[in-house]
Amino acid sequence: MAEQISITVKVNGMEHTAAVEPRRSLVDFLRHDLGLVGTHVGCEHGVCGACTVMLDGRTVRSCLLFAAQTDGAEIITIEGIATDEALHPLQLAFQRHHALQCGFCTPGMILAALELLRENADPSEAEIRVGLSGNLCMCTGYVNIVRAVRAAASTGKAK
Amino acid sequence: MSSAKKWVGQALERAEDVRLMTRGGHFIDDLTLPGVAHAAYVRSPHARARIRHIDVRRALEHPGVYAVITGEDVAQSTRPQRGRVPLPNSPRVYAVAYQQVRYVGEPVVGIAAVDRATAEDAAELVQVEYDPLPPVLDPEEALKPDAPSVFEEIGSNVLWHDTFPYGDVEGAFAAADTVVNERVTIHRYASTPLETFGVMAQYEPATDSFTIWGHTQQPAQDLHVVAAAFGVSPAQIRLIIPPMGGSFGNKVRPLFIIAAALLARKAKRPVKWIEDRRESLLALGHAADGIMEMSAAVKADGTVLAIKFRNIENEGAGIDFAGRHNLLMLSNIANCYRFRAISYEGYSVVTNLCPVVANRGIGKPFMCFAVERMMDAVARALKLDRAEIRYRNFIQPDQFPYDTPGGQTYDSGDYPEMLRRALAAVDYEKLKREQAEGRQSGRLLGIGIATAVEPGGSNLSYGMLISGPTQLLSGQGEAARVRLETDGTARVFTGGLDSGQGHATALAQIVADELGLDVKQIRVATTFDSASHPYVMTSGVYSNKFHGHDTVAAIGAARKVREKLLKRAAALLEANPDDLVLGDGRVSVRGAPQKALTIAQVAARAYWSLADEQPDGEPGLEALYYYSNPLAKHPDEKKRVRVQLGFASAAHVAVVDIDPETFEIKVLRYVVVHDCGRQINPGIVEGQVHGAAAHGIAAALLEEFIYDENGQLLTTSFMDYLKPTAADLPNIEGDRLETPSPLTLLGTKGVGEGGAVVAPAAIASAVEDALAPLGIHIAALPIVPSRLFEVAAAGGKRYENARR
Repeated sequence: MAEQISITVKVNGMEHTAAVEPRRSLVDFLRHDLGLVGTHVGCEHGVCGACTVMLDGRTVRSCLLFAAQTDGAEIITIEGIATDEALHPLQLAFQRHHALQCGFCTPGMILAALELLRENADPSEAEIRVGLSGNLCMCTGYVNIVRAVRAAASTGKAK
Repeated sequence: MSSAKKWVGQALERAEDVRLMTRGGHFIDDLTLPGVAHAAYVRSPHARARIRHIDVRRALEHPGVYAVITGEDVAQSTRPQRGRVPLPNSPRVYAVAYQQVRYVGEPVVGIAAVDRATAEDAAELVQVEYDPLPPVLDPEEALKPDAPSVFEEIGSNVLWHDTFPYGDVEGAFAAADTVVNERVTIHRYASTPLETFGVMAQYEPATDSFTIWGHTQQPAQDLHVVAAAFGVSPAQIRLIIPPMGGSFGNKVRPLFIIAAALLARKAKRPVKWIEDRRESLLALGHAADGIMEMSAAVKADGTVLAIKFRNIENEGAGIDFAGRHNLLMLSNIANCYRFRAISYEGYSVVTNLCPVVANRGIGKPFMCFAVERMMDAVARALKLDRAEIRYRNFIQPDQFPYDTPGGQTYDSGDYPEMLRRALAAVDYEKLKREQAEGRQSGRLLGIGIATAVEPGGSNLSYGMLISGPTQLLSGQGEAARVRLETDGTARVFTGGLDSGQGHATALAQIVADELGLDVKQIRVATTFDSASHPYVMTSGVYSNKFHGHDTVAAIGAARKVREKLLKRAAALLEANPDDLVLGDGRVSVRGAPQKALTIAQVAARAYWSLADEQPDGEPGLEALYYYSNPLAKHPDEKKRVRVQLGFASAAHVAVVDIDPETFEIKVLRYVVVHDCGRQINPGIVEGQVHGAAAHGIAAALLEEFIYDENGQLLTTSFMDYLKPTAADLPNIEGDRLETPSPLTLLGTKGVGEGGAVVAPAAIASAVEDALAPLGIHIAALPIVPSRLFEVAAAGGKRYENARR
C-alpha cells in the first residue's frame, strides 16, 4: 500500500481531515471516502463533466484532480446547493422545465450552470449553449436544460 | 364507470427530480456492501486470436487480490450463454473468452480485489499468450466462403438468413414504368448512457443463491439467462435493478452479470464491477452496421408499387441480438407508405467487431434511412419535389386501420398533415426560394425531409421466425401490483424499470385517476426487485412498450383495488357499491355527499380491523394484474407476424448550411412534428422527442465507432468518439398531432425511440439537398466534413461507406 497523504478540506461547509493515497482522485475521495455520491463519474477523462464540483468558487472536473491536490480547499458539491428549506432556483427551474431525464449528468450540469450565471446573470441561448458545452447530457438534447437556465436567470436569484 | 381524467394529460413536474438533483444514492455505483470487492478485467488486444496460455500466478499473489477467473473457470462453472432468442445453431459464448478471443476488448481474465485500483494493478500482472489470427470485419467479406470463421462450431459466419416475399412483387415490377436502385450503408454508433454498465453480486453458499444488483432492460429474461448459466432455479437468483443513468438499449449484457456473479462466488465476498468509459465504448455494444440494397418499382406518377430489400447486418462477435435488427427493420419497412408488395432478404453475419445491442430504435434508424433515401431517389428520378413524392405515397388518414403487406396493422395517424405542419414551420416554399437565390452566390443551403412510423411495443413472437415455433417466449405484456396503504396513499410495483423516462410520474398520474387520489399520494417503486415486483417474461423497459403495456397492467391492478375499496366502503356506509362515488380522496354515496368516508378511513379498516366482516373475503387492499396484449400472436404460415402493437409517427424537417470550402455542416433549424396519440405527460413526452432527435442528429453527423484494418477500435474515449454538446446541437422545435390509438386504454402510442429513427434520414436528405449544385448523393452515414471534402475534391457523385 502506497504512502498516505493527509489533507484537510471543507466540503459543503463541513471540515474533513483524511489520509488519502496519492492516486486517489478527488471524485473517488468525495464519493467513497466522504459518501457524497451525488457527484458522478461518467468518463474519467475530463470530457463529460458529470463529476463537476466547485473548488474555491470555480468548477473543476473532480476526475482529473487528485484529492491530495485539494488540501486546504473549499469544495461545493451538489449536496451543498439546496438548503434544508428550499431547492436552489436552478433546481426548481430544472424540475419545472423537465430539464433532466435519467439525472446522471444533472448534478454536474447544475454546478456548471451556477458558474455560468455567476459570470453572466442574463445569458442568451447561444451563451448558455457555449457555457454548458463542457457537460454532456445524453438524454435531453439540451433543449429543456437551456430553457431551465434561461428561466432561472430571469428570476435574478440563481447565484 | 371510468372517472374523468384529472391527472393524465398534465405536464406535471416529475416525482423523480428532487431526489436526482439534490443528492446521490440512486445509481448502482452509489450502493455498497460490507467487504465488497471490486473487479477489473484483462481484455483482448486482438480482434481474433487463439489463447495459447494464461498465467495468473503473479496476479493471484498480488496483495489484496481475492479471486481470478479465466475462460477455463467459466467453461467449467457455467453453461454457454442462452441467447435472448435461442438460435437453432448457436455458437458457444461464455462470460469471459474461452480458448479464443473474438473482438478487441473481450474480457479474458476477471480479477476481484480489495479495490478497483488493486484489481487493475493485478490485471497488469496477468500474462496471456495469444496466437493472433486474421480477423474478419466487413460483413460482406464475412459472407465469402473462404472468410475466416468467427465461431468455427457453426460452420459459417451467417447466424441467420431468410427471405420474406409479401404480396405480388414480380407483378408490381412488371407494372412499373421505372425501376430505381439504391445501395446505402449505416455505421456503428451507440447512444452511450452517461452512467456506464454496473453490477454488484453476492453469493450465499448455504442456499446456493445469488443476490445481484445490476443493469438490464429485460429483468425477467436476464434473470433466466443468469440462472441457466449457473444451472440453478430462477428462484435462486434475486435480481435488483436500481434506476439507471440512461440505457438506450445498451445495458443488455447478461454475460457481464454472470462474470461478476462467478467472481463473487469464487472470492467468497460481494463483488462490484463498474465499467469504465473505455470498456464501455469497446465492449458494451454498438448499433449494428449494415448494408442495404434496394430496388423500387415506380409508376410515372410517382407511386411506389413495391420495393425489394436485401440487408446485411453485422452482429459483431455476439449472438444475443441475432436477426433482431433485421426483423425489426422488416416489421417497419413499409414506413408511412402504401407499398403494395415488399420482398425482404436479411442476413445476420458475425464478425470480429464488438457485439451489437438494441441501440435506441434498433434497426429502425437504418430502415428509415434506407426507405427515405429511396423516396428521395425516386423524387430525383422523376424530378418531383421530395415532399410531393411523399404526399403521393402516404397512407391516407381515412385508410386506418391499415394493413401492411408484411402483416402489421397501423392503428391511426395523419401523415400528410404531419408533414404539412413540419414544412409550414420552416416555410418550405419561401425557404426553397431562398435556397435558389443563395445558390447564385454559391451558398449551400439544404432542406431535409423524412417521415417515419414509430412502433410501440414488440410482440416477441417474432423470435419464432428465427428459432422456430418451439420458442417459449412470445407476445408482449407487463405485470403490476397496486397496494393501498393504511393512510390512503398507494404504492405501485411493476416489472418495468427506470432509466430516465419518468415512468414513475406517468404511472402515478394514471393510478391517481383510477383511485381518485392526488398524484402525490401515489408512490411508484423505481428500483425493480425480482423478490417483490411482479413480472412476466416480456417485462422491462424497451421497444416503446410502456404506453400500452405497463400502463394497462397498472390500470388493471388499480381497478381491482378500486373494486375492493368500493365493496369495503359500501359495507361500512351500508350502501350499494354501484351507488358510490370515488374522488378527491373520498368515497361518498351518490346524491348524499354527507354520507362519506375518506379513502384513508376505509383503507385503515382493511388492514387493522380483521374482525370486520370481509366483504371481499379477505382483508387488505392490494391487487396484482398480469397483462398480455391480445393483439400479439404467433407468426402465420406466410411468415407474417404482427410484431408492432401500435404505430406513432413523426415528420422531421432539417435545414442545414454547408460551408462551401470546409464542408462544415451547420444545422440551422430542426423541426419535429410527431403523433403519439394521447399523451400521459406532455412534459415528459417532449423531452423524449428532443432527446431521441439529438441521438439521431449526432449519429448522422458526429458519432462513429471506427476500427482499423486489424479490428482495433480507434474511438475509445469521448475525445475521439464525438458526443454532441449543447453548442453542437440545434434547438429542436416542434409540434404535435394527436390521433388517439383505438388499441390502447388511454389512446396512447409509443414514444421515445422515434426521433432517433427519423433524424439520420432527415439530416442526410438536408445535406444532399444542400449539395445538389455539386450533385453529391448521400448513401452512407455518418456525414463527415473531411470526407465530404474528399468526395467533392475528387469530383465524386456518391458519398458512400464513409471510412471503411
